[in-house]
Amino acid sequence: MSAFEAATLIAVDVGSVNSRANLFDVVDGGYRLVATGRAPSTAGAPLFDLGEGIRMALDQVQQVTGRRLLDENESLVMPVTTDGAGVDAFASTASAGPNPRTVLVGLMPDVSLESARRLAASSYLDVVDEISLMDPRREEQQIDDLLRARPDIILLVGGTDGGATDSVLRMTDVVALAIGLMPEGTEPRVVFAGNRRLGAAVNERLGGKVPVILTPNIRPSLELEDLGPTRGRLGEVVIEVRSARVAGFDELRQWSGGYFSPSADAMGRVIRYMSRIYGPEKGVLGIDLGASHTTVAAAFGGQLRLAVNTDLGMGSSLRGVLNPEAISQAMRWLPIDIPEPAFRDYLHNKILHPGTIPVEAEELHLEYALARQCIRVALDRARRSWPRLKGSVGPTVMPALEPIVASGATLGRAPRPGFSALAVLDAVQPTGITTLVLDPHNLLASLGVVGAAVPLAAVQVLESGSFANLGTAVSPVGRGRTNRPVLRYLLERDAGGEKIEGQARFGQLIVVPLEAGEQAKLSLRPERSFDVGFGGPGRAGALRVTGGAVGVIIDARGRPLELPRDPGRRREFNQKWLWDIGALS
Amino acid sequence: MALSYLSPIVHVTPLTTIRRERNLSVPGVVAVRVNQKVQASDVMGEAEVGRRHVFLDVGRALGIPERQVAASLARKVGDPVEAGDVLAGPAGFARRTVRAPAGGTIVAVSGGRILFETEGQTAGLRAGFAGTVVSTDGIQHVTLETPGALIQATWGNNRQDYGLTRFVGRGPGDRMQTDQLDINLRGAVLVAGVCENPAPLHQAVELSVRGLILGSMTSELIPVAMRLPYPILLTEGFGRLPMNSPAYALLQSNAGREATLDGRMGSIYESQRPEVIIPLPASPQVGMPEDVVPLKPAVRVRVVRAPHRGAIGQIRQVLPKAVSMPSGILARSATVDLEGIGAATVPLANLEILQ
Repeated sequence: MSAFEAATLIAVDVGSVNSRANLFDVVDGGYRLVATGRAPSTAGAPLFDLGEGIRMALDQVQQVTGRRLLDENESLVMPVTTDGAGVDAFASTASAGPNPRTVLVGLMPDVSLESARRLAASSYLDVVDEISLMDPRREEQQIDDLLRARPDIILLVGGTDGGATDSVLRMTDVVALAIGLMPEGTEPRVVFAGNRRLGAAVNERLGGKVPVILTPNIRPSLELEDLGPTRGRLGEVVIEVRSARVAGFDELRQWSGGYFSPSADAMGRVIRYMSRIYGPEKGVLGIDLGASHTTVAAAFGGQLRLAVNTDLGMGSSLRGVLNPEAISQAMRWLPIDIPEPAFRDYLHNKILHPGTIPVEAEELHLEYALARQCIRVALDRARRSWPRLKGSVGPTVMPALEPIVASGATLGRAPRPGFSALAVLDAVQPTGITTLVLDPHNLLASLGVVGAAVPLAAVQVLESGSFANLGTAVSPVGRGRTNRPVLRYLLERDAGGEKIEGQARFGQLIVVPLEAGEQAKLSLRPERSFDVGFGGPGRAGALRVTGGAVGVIIDARGRPLELPRDPGRRREFNQKWLWDIGALS
Repeated sequence: MALSYLSPIVHVTPLTTIRRERNLSVPGVVAVRVNQKVQASDVMGEAEVGRRHVFLDVGRALGIPERQVAASLARKVGDPVEAGDVLAGPAGFARRTVRAPAGGTIVAVSGGRILFETEGQTAGLRAGFAGTVVSTDGIQHVTLETPGALIQATWGNNRQDYGLTRFVGRGPGDRMQTDQLDINLRGAVLVAGVCENPAPLHQAVELSVRGLILGSMTSELIPVAMRLPYPILLTEGFGRLPMNSPAYALLQSNAGREATLDGRMGSIYESQRPEVIIPLPASPQVGMPEDVVPLKPAVRVRVVRAPHRGAIGQIRQVLPKAVSMPSGILARSATVDLEGIGAATVPLANLEILQ
């Protein structure tokens, strides 16, 4: 059966902490998420094999559905048998595995190397060194440093198509000399993404020593950057490197029959697809807060900007927030008084035990303070490559986004919807009117790869309610004194009943109740110096809204959001906002 | 049938077969053979590290065009040379020569230049613990084995050393103080409870201690610990947590014996974990520690997160349904009989198997 004819399919995502299996089937004429299973990932010690964790996750799906998915040899049953066992299609994504040590080699630091950095930042790479024509190091020093770096991948770029040749080949010669000195079996893979006329020459200089992967030029001209094709191929190289250290990738790819992708790439595909549906006036934002990475996927009119932060995450990658300033920033979100040494101890212990979860309320607040900090730093970095949208207010506030989709175990397991909603509002600080969506089953990556196998399934699942609509957030841009009026609102439910109207004052977080699935008309009349996105400050308007798990959230705390300087007052406000949004019972 | 849940394992084992690989950082020469017995201080192999490279522009030095460089070479690629040896020439109008700047090897000739590799320094591979060689590839890797006690830790400062164990303080939760460290502890591996300030760590340097095993220390001391010359291992982590009782008791029962401390921290994709190895006299063959233990009743576990962080107990029951925690989070959990506390419901994610 071809993937396009599949009725039952399963998508597996393997992370550093969790392995997840999501079963989709046709229900009432459309694809729906039927069951999910989650188990600890076995990519790391002691097994270093993806397989056991995947089988445990599939076993959970088996137990929930009563459907046999694995045969007596623990292999996947495919296609569906006459007795209803198995699935018709299998797709998988993975973010698990060590990040390849990577050296970027290019010509100009602010041209080809800059593009290489952006490319590296959109993949699971650890960049350990850069070499350019402007490098102050002598060539022999570059060779010594290349040897010391022990790279898994060398990303060689430079020269526009039809442009520089000699300089690129000279850099290639340096790389070739260094590779010739490496112990046998430790040589890196080389990805050449420079002047396409030099592919054969680069291959000739290197090809005898190492595999050389030729991809389209990431900078075909000075004005044009094209990362997409190389990103896809680079993703495959990352998997090859990981496969050498963690078993199970081959079996996973075999089960997937070609529908296998790095998790970030798959997530990016969904966000890009959504931006084509939602239109060009606003961007679509997806955030995946994982244990070892934080991925930010933003798409504007179908153009994707993908950023994978390998030094930010809620587990081993909390190292990215170990500096004093980041710790201080994270602590600003706490609604309780915790001494900084205790916060730091907590952070370090969480790095040592990345899969643990907060049992007590106090640790829950610590966890979510760190979550906010990871997301904020990841967004700050990602935004540097975002286009400027029409109507953007400025660099200190977010552009218009619709919707914002948040994924990852930390956000997904929040005790109440308001908890994750407030974390997203605090971390992202959206402007204007946007819908907050939570992905509690980590479906984003799965749908990105399912969409390649069965496009209809991805579309139908997206529309089916498998994601949790937290609600519509109204975030006026502007600042004022506390308690100063910001806007007036009026909610009129389609189903009739009492209208809800009121006034939001500066500093308030108001939830206007609207049940999930309920439709209503929301009229907003902002004060003169506040802009909610109806064409300028003070411009009133109305829109149709659908209810969510929290309701309609009016965030009148100002944009940019500035927390009180006094720590005690800040804790009071953080506590109050948690109550106001319904995060605390 | 797949396992239903796989928890991390930490080994605190009084007697097991310990097998560890020791590696030169680069290929060299391994001098030991299979079945050979070694002591901790024995050097099992050597390799040359820190080689550096120098380009020698032969064309420019001799004043000849690039096409004549190959013919001017007095040595070929791969030739080892001494400092001052002629590498190229005499050639050119002035009959100049190019000489080796130091002892080393010609590793490449390219574009009229010699790439010269200077000799590095010799780095030895010490055994680190008394044991028997069970395998080697002859050039870089050696696997050693010994029966002994094994205590795995949670954090280490990436240093390695060995020495005789001595105890400091009154118990596994005792705060380490400078007045507890005296001349009798010189050169030893110290076992203590909790460290909250840097003074005793610096004092230990004065005493040339060979290592420090703690239950915990405050994370503020990490920068200090990373700069110290001796290994520091934490069995519990950061904060003020006493050493777990099985580890403390095991170390006490082996007080005075030689212990090897390996404080290296591997990533989650490496098997490296900070640990203490105490080789013991040969005994009837004992098995190796299990790496995979299903979580089920009677399995001994340790809680690694609040509440009850550090507590040890036995699984009474793995609960069939997820349980709501005080934080509001739903989690697959187990009922655990914790020593000194009683029965508690603990998320599976917050348990480590103690073996």
